[in-house]
Amino acid sequence: MRVSKILGMALENLKQRKLRTSLTTLGVVIGITAIIGLASLGEGFRIEIRDRMQQGFELNNLTIIPGSLFAGLSRQRFTDDDVQNISKISGVETVTQVMQIGNVTLYNGNKSVQAFVATAVNFTEFIRIFSDRFVFESSIPLTKYKNDTIVIGYKVNHPTENDTRPFAVANDSIVSTLGVPRLEPIPHVEMQNYTFTVRGTLQQKGTPGITNFDYWIFIPLDTAREVYKTVESDLIFVKVYDREKSEDIAKDIEKLFPPFRITILVPLTFIKQVDNILSIVQLFLMAIASISLLVAGIGIMNIMTVSVMERTREIGILKAIGAKSRTVLTMFLAEAMLIGLIGGVIGVFTGYGVSYALAYALSRFIQPQQQNTTFQNPTQPQGLAITPVFSPEWTIAAFAFAIIVCVIFGLYPARKASKLNPVEALRYE
Amino acid sequence: MTSILEARDVNKSYRMGKVLVPALCGVSFDVEDGEFLTIFGPSGSGKSTLLHLLGGLDRPDEGEILIDGTNILKLSDGKLAELRLNKIGFVFQFFNLLPRLTALRNVELPLTIAGVPDKETLDRAREMLKFVGLETRENHRPYELSGGEQQRVAIARALITIPKIILADEPTGNLDTKTGWEIVQLMKKLNEEKGQTFIVVTHDPRIAEQADRTIYLKDGLIEDIKEAETARGTRR
Repeated sequence: MRVSKILGMALENLKQRKLRTSLTTLGVVIGITAIIGLASLGEGFRIEIRDRMQQGFELNNLTIIPGSLFAGLSRQRFTDDDVQNISKISGVETVTQVMQIGNVTLYNGNKSVQAFVATAVNFTEFIRIFSDRFVFESSIPLTKYKNDTIVIGYKVNHPTENDTRPFAVANDSIVSTLGVPRLEPIPHVEMQNYTFTVRGTLQQKGTPGITNFDYWIFIPLDTAREVYKTVESDLIFVKVYDREKSEDIAKDIEKLFPPFRITILVPLTFIKQVDNILSIVQLFLMAIASISLLVAGIGIMNIMTVSVMERTREIGILKAIGAKSRTVLTMFLAEAMLIGLIGGVIGVFTGYGVSYALAYALSRFIQPQQQNTTFQNPTQPQGLAITPVFSPEWTIAAFAFAIIVCVIFGLYPARKASKLNPVEALRYE
Repeated sequence: MTSILEARDVNKSYRMGKVLVPALCGVSFDVEDGEFLTIFGPSGSGKSTLLHLLGGLDRPDEGEILIDGTNILKLSDGKLAELRLNKIGFVFQFFNLLPRLTALRNVELPLTIAGVPDKETLDRAREMLKFVGLETRENHRPYELSGGEQQRVAIARALITIPKIILADEPTGNLDTKTGWEIVQLMKKLNEEKGQTFIVVTHDPRIAEQADRTIYLKDGLIEDIKEAETARGTRR
């Protein structure tokens, strides 16, 4: 018997039992809808998160901090030699060291503000590394930073939300109190006033990664070294040419130091791990969704077993007029396959439909609260804008899965039908 | 004339629960090509069992059945199905048409199974329906046809592969007298015009009157075989 005829007859048989076929197919539709819906929504979610993190993290930048989380943070600090050695590593674009001074109070006339993080940096190198975030709101064009330069972060300069007047503007002369350690007569910290000229105030940029410049103030590294009588620094920032090589470069940097001496924060590694976790969660969700398809398969087996019983006489007739067992088997399998096929096609469409509807609902109803956290980036759009991802591979896989499940579950009743003894089948009432 | 069908010492039993019930006990006879043979006997005499064995629907426990020279015991299930498709046509008491198919589609079915091209299948099915006088009823489903018409469709279906042997199990058993007689006449016409061999299991003496030979079965044994003249004579 020709395949086209078998398929035609199978389709006719299914049409004869419209309600039963529809309900059986509905099971497959629900299963495939769940799989496709979760897969496309999950992938959209994963990509959204990854993109946001890629925007949020400066993937080309590595942060080196002394010591290790496991072996205790080190009191040792970095030297110019360390910076020199790191800059020699292939793939490294810029290296800069930073001295952290702690919190300071700034005075501008009768106004004062608290800056939580005062940092001493090499401005030229620092701007090269953080070109996206170290953006001036107002500045004096400078080719060379002077020893009395101070740059103020947005939140330091605008301490209260409603106060439109900034603490300082470019060219203001302000006083900063720095705590300077003294050894004589006994070790103590002596508060000393230093006068700086505001050379720039920064735009609000939020926090990609672990540093939020909004709360920082910056003074020249050389000035800080003179004040504190030291040539050591607390942090090293490294910019690499190729973000994809950042993990390899981090390994090369680690080799320059004794074990547990430093910790390198590699944004790419973090993003990869989050991406991996999201992929696993996505697979897990799809596995749960697959269970509904298996349930649909059992439904098919159930319905087909009943159908074989009902059509026993018909099977007997077909065999009497010369149909082979194989033909009967194929006829029933074709019915199961068609259910999978129809259910699969509808399920793929409804799956994508549902994923778009859910994505819309999520973006509509899950609006994050307006927060002023250090981890907020005001340049990014608010709300969860997930675009479900259409994947031809998954579509084909889900489709194939539907057909395979249906055929496997249809196999038992189909075999039962094909093995019927024609004489007994003809006698069946 | 040559034998188209041979039964040699055929035994067949059925298991009913724990009891083995003999249906046929050492039945032997030949059927000649083009013969119109009836098998007569009371209920439970083994008539239908014998017909099923002769048609290759079942296999004997012992003995041999040769259909057109082929021993059906030596055939695989697939080959046996092929043999049924090509050499045998079945006509049943309850017509056994597929209820969801039209008359035409029912008649086409054996050729569809055989994989014959659509055009040829359609032409031959229409020809067969015309032959049995149902050319105007081809798009009717079985439930839209009378018993006699259904049996004509069944005969057309049995004939479409041009089989050498037509096996009929009580073909008039479910029809009124007049319709039954028309069916008998149709079978006789086919036998005479197309030379096809007919083996008919029946209770209907009118069919036996048309037969070349009648086998009388009782309790799974051949009680008597009567040639046409003798058979008619007995009834007179």
